[in-house]
Amino acid sequence: MQGSDFWPHHRTMTQPTGPIRLAAIDTDTGFIRVLAKRVEAMSWQFRSLDAPVPPHELVAMRLNALVIDVSLLGPRAWEYIEAVGEGIPGLGLIVCTERSTVAQRVRGLRLGADDWVNKPCHPEEVIARVEAVVRRRKRAGARPDRGPMVAGELEIRTDQFQAFVGGQNLDLTRREFELVQLLAEANGQVLQREEIYQRVWGYAMAHGDRSVDVFVRKLRQKLEAASPGWRYIHTHFGIGYRFQPESKVGEVPPEAAPSVEEPEETAATEDAAVERTAAESSA
Amino acid sequence: MRIFRRAPDRRLLDLLHESAGNARIATDTLRELLADYPERRHLAREILKQEQDGDRIAHDIIHRLHEDGVAPPVPRTEVHALAHALDDIVDHAEQTADSLGLYGVEAPMAQAQQLAEVLAKSGAVVESALGALRDHSELSPHLVQIHQLENEGDRLSREAIASLFAKGIDPMVVIRWKDIFESLEQAIDSCETVAHILEGISLQNGRAY
Repeated sequence: MQGSDFWPHHRTMTQPTGPIRLAAIDTDTGFIRVLAKRVEAMSWQFRSLDAPVPPHELVAMRLNALVIDVSLLGPRAWEYIEAVGEGIPGLGLIVCTERSTVAQRVRGLRLGADDWVNKPCHPEEVIARVEAVVRRRKRAGARPDRGPMVAGELEIRTDQFQAFVGGQNLDLTRREFELVQLLAEANGQVLQREEIYQRVWGYAMAHGDRSVDVFVRKLRQKLEAASPGWRYIHTHFGIGYRFQPESKVGEVPPEAAPSVEEPEETAATEDAAVERTAAESSA
Repeated sequence: MRIFRRAPDRRLLDLLHESAGNARIATDTLRELLADYPERRHLAREILKQEQDGDRIAHDIIHRLHEDGVAPPVPRTEVHALAHALDDIVDHAEQTADSLGLYGVEAPMAQAQQLAEVLAKSGAVVESALGALRDHSELSPHLVQIHQLENEGDRLSREAIASLFAKGIDPMVVIRWKDIFESLEQAIDSCETVAHILEGISLQNGRAY
């Protein structure tokens, strides 16, 4: 791996207005050097990789875009493009390679590449194409109607990177917010410590690292202070954590299960359920 | 086992024991700090005070050693070496605590907690050994214990550093923790240095411990 000073700035989860997080898989050192210099001057976060990495490692890097020279992959190129395209739908994939035919470009674009640039090319053109791909992704990914996630008394607002209880701000740090969001989105599934670390911190967890436990503890303290009647995060010893709001008195109200409030979709789903029930009754 | 051929200067032995007691307190404070990090990160300030106390005691030992009419209980070079080694234990413990704050460490590593446990045990045995030196009692059980703890610390430290070089770990984590593991190991090594000096004193007095 080249460029040991990757992510020189504060690493955060996908930020709509933050710097673009770009990685390039390419062994052309001259090209990479010029590209790195230019994108870093634009305050992008850049990471240079000299060999393809598995898609799950790309997920952990939380990239906006990936520039790849598919000639490094040989015959596995198509499989890789497809795996990245399917596995990381939010990632812009720009192929930048030499001597490609029309048939290869068409195949690559159909399999999941967002753009294809032939070398030799100017890094400025590559940067412009990355910007265009990221812009399209943002437009496609913009969901202004997305409501808060509600669990128990807790309201998680992605638009504000914050959580609330009864309108009271929990004053979560960015890391704490990312952690509670990740846990809540897991829909009651147990998440392993290693997975949590990789998703929130963006790197593999070092053996013995207690960061996840410390941040879960901090999060629990804030949740307990704001919502003392509820228990949200459950420990699975030796494994990890599970988010499931449970009232400390009596049964868990049915509306307590984590849900993303999306008014239109919810209404449509409810209508469909009513129609199904009616059809079953008449049958 | 009696190891002195003439009446030792009690004050020097008391000061050496006081220095060892200070090392025991500092290493135990570091253990507590790491066990409950970051909640008890404020303990770093106490360790800094203990480090300053250690410097003061070392200064007192050196001055006492060079006072007229004072007959050192063991060769002057050995007293010097003991004073420095005891001071080094506290210095490395303080350096560890300081690094946690300096590097902005958010959470502890299990291996650092284990190393701090070993260090705290070593610190306690070092105090007992200096107590034995002052009281002219058997040194060997304490020295054996210190060597065993150093071996355990060495093993833990090597494994901890090796684990940092697994694939995909944040380079900042590697930089921070490699330094911290090394300073913990140096503190444990300083305990062993004390044991080596005491072993030499024992041998110079004609008795293998």
